[in-house]
Amino acid sequence: MTSTPWSRRLLAAAGIFGLVFLTVPLLIVIPMSFSPARALTFPPPGFSLRWYQALFGDPRWMEAMSTSTIVAVLSSVAALVLGSLAAYGLRRGSFAGRDWAEGNFMSPLIVPTIIVAIALYLSLAKVGLLGSFVGLVAAHTVLNVPLVMMVMGVAVRDFDLRIEQVAWSLGASWSYTVIKVMLPNLAPSVFAAWIFAFIGSFDEVIVTSFIAGKYETVPKKMFNELILEVNPTITAVATLLIAVTVLALAAVTLVLGRAGKLGQTLVER
Amino acid sequence: MSDIRLEGVSKRYGAVAAADEVDLAVAQGEFVTILGPSGSGKTTLLSLIAGLNRPTAGRIFIGGRDVTDAPAQQRNIGLVFQSYALFPHMTVLENVLFPLGVRGIGGAAARTQALDALKLVRLDGLQDRRPSQLSGGQQQRVALARSIVFKPDILLLDEPLGALDRKLREELQVELKQLQRSLGVTTLLVTHDQEEALSLSDRIMVLDKGRTQQVAAPAEAYLRPANRFVAEFLGIANFVGLADGRTGLVRPERVRVGPTGINGGRPARVVETIYLGQMVRYHLALQGGEDSPVVAALPFVGKAFAAGDEVAVSWDTADIWPVP
Repeated sequence: MTSTPWSRRLLAAAGIFGLVFLTVPLLIVIPMSFSPARALTFPPPGFSLRWYQALFGDPRWMEAMSTSTIVAVLSSVAALVLGSLAAYGLRRGSFAGRDWAEGNFMSPLIVPTIIVAIALYLSLAKVGLLGSFVGLVAAHTVLNVPLVMMVMGVAVRDFDLRIEQVAWSLGASWSYTVIKVMLPNLAPSVFAAWIFAFIGSFDEVIVTSFIAGKYETVPKKMFNELILEVNPTITAVATLLIAVTVLALAAVTLVLGRAGKLGQTLVER
Repeated sequence: MSDIRLEGVSKRYGAVAAADEVDLAVAQGEFVTILGPSGSGKTTLLSLIAGLNRPTAGRIFIGGRDVTDAPAQQRNIGLVFQSYALFPHMTVLENVLFPLGVRGIGGAAARTQALDALKLVRLDGLQDRRPSQLSGGQQQRVALARSIVFKPDILLLDEPLGALDRKLREELQVELKQLQRSLGVTTLLVTHDQEEALSLSDRIMVLDKGRTQQVAAPAEAYLRPANRFVAEFLGIANFVGLADGRTGLVRPERVRVGPTGINGGRPARVVETIYLGQMVRYHLALQGGEDSPVVAALPFVGKAFAAGDEVAVSWDTADIWPVP
């Protein structure tokens, strides 16, 4: 708390600039999606839902949406189960190579995504899953495990080990303790972790472009559309993606905030 | 027959021994306290008996059964921690029902049993509260009810009163002792508080650096400690040189302080007078002696010496314990 007024003002200016920089594109895209004009124009000359009609009337977009949703549901649930177990083992266990194992699990978040994409491309090709649906789900799972581990790692660490030990001493097995004692208490964190993993998968484009083959997710299709032609439909898709993300993060904020865990989960790490 | 038996139990972490060849036999229904400073290995020893940790050497028997390799789930132990460790999402009653549910006991029978346990710890009427709505003392009672409701073979208490304030702690000590006696359950308590150990236990095991220093009844350990560490850990110790070159221990309660020149005694000066309510404690400097300062504790009867007063100090030879 030794900051002078001058440096504090600079900090505030930088913060406001960052906020504007991040939100201006949203403020342009969202109105544009409701534009009646055939070309991308800003400000929009009127109001219409034609691009939403075009989007929902296009079977290829609908298919991309269903692919994205199914992949996001499957991979986020898989990442939730695997990431939670990994977080539990790393927080509670003491074994040789624990730090190494944790680094390995977290690496998809740290290593540039393009490197992860190439690594997944090569390894999926090796096991014959390149371009397959299973491969796509597996890749998204690998990408989202670190997000789950971050949230669940904090949750497990903050949960008193002695509560678990008492449950064991009272005769409860490890799995019974996890289901009946831990999960009810960690539910807000589990929900947050699942949402992060879901959005992580739903927004993913780089790895998907490398390994998805014929499967088109929404972000991958957006990317491909942009290369071919600039069609205002894409602004409607973007608006929907923004809406889904904002609603999901609002839900996380609400659930974690009510549990008093928000600051902790977001600040730590 | 002994209910808990440790035979050469050791727990090593690399070169450090948290428990070093510990032997102990606790009889059926006995209340034994493991007393030691922090880092003495007392909690490690308890976790070994509870099955939360595996010893690196030695065997552990509970009720004659070798449980060294049995997991905590199979030891039928009641466990209470200083931090209460209640299940936060469950009501008081649900917490107490938990061990019964695990054992396949449900319905009205379980409910009756749980409510009986809550009555034993004087919590009847609070069964529908959540732990967060209870005071520390009440939470610890819930933890106690939960640990005895399934009639465990032994009860393990890890600093169970350490988080409570002094008055409440003393109240709960009395209740704990009565409860333990009425249930007749073999109990092992861990604490660093020597007063708690002295007042609660049938026997005390003093531990330091993972090694047993002494196992004895409270009065025995207090008045006839096995070594200097026990003498100093269990209370204020006055050490005096003996004629044969050994060191003798005199407890402050055995030191007499009177006005000079009445019936002998060594001349001394009062350095400090401390009122403790029903007792008064004097820190004394013996005149012309090479002995260490002496502490005396006397019943306070309305009048006391003040700092700077010249007094006469004496003790009976019978009250001197030559420390081995």
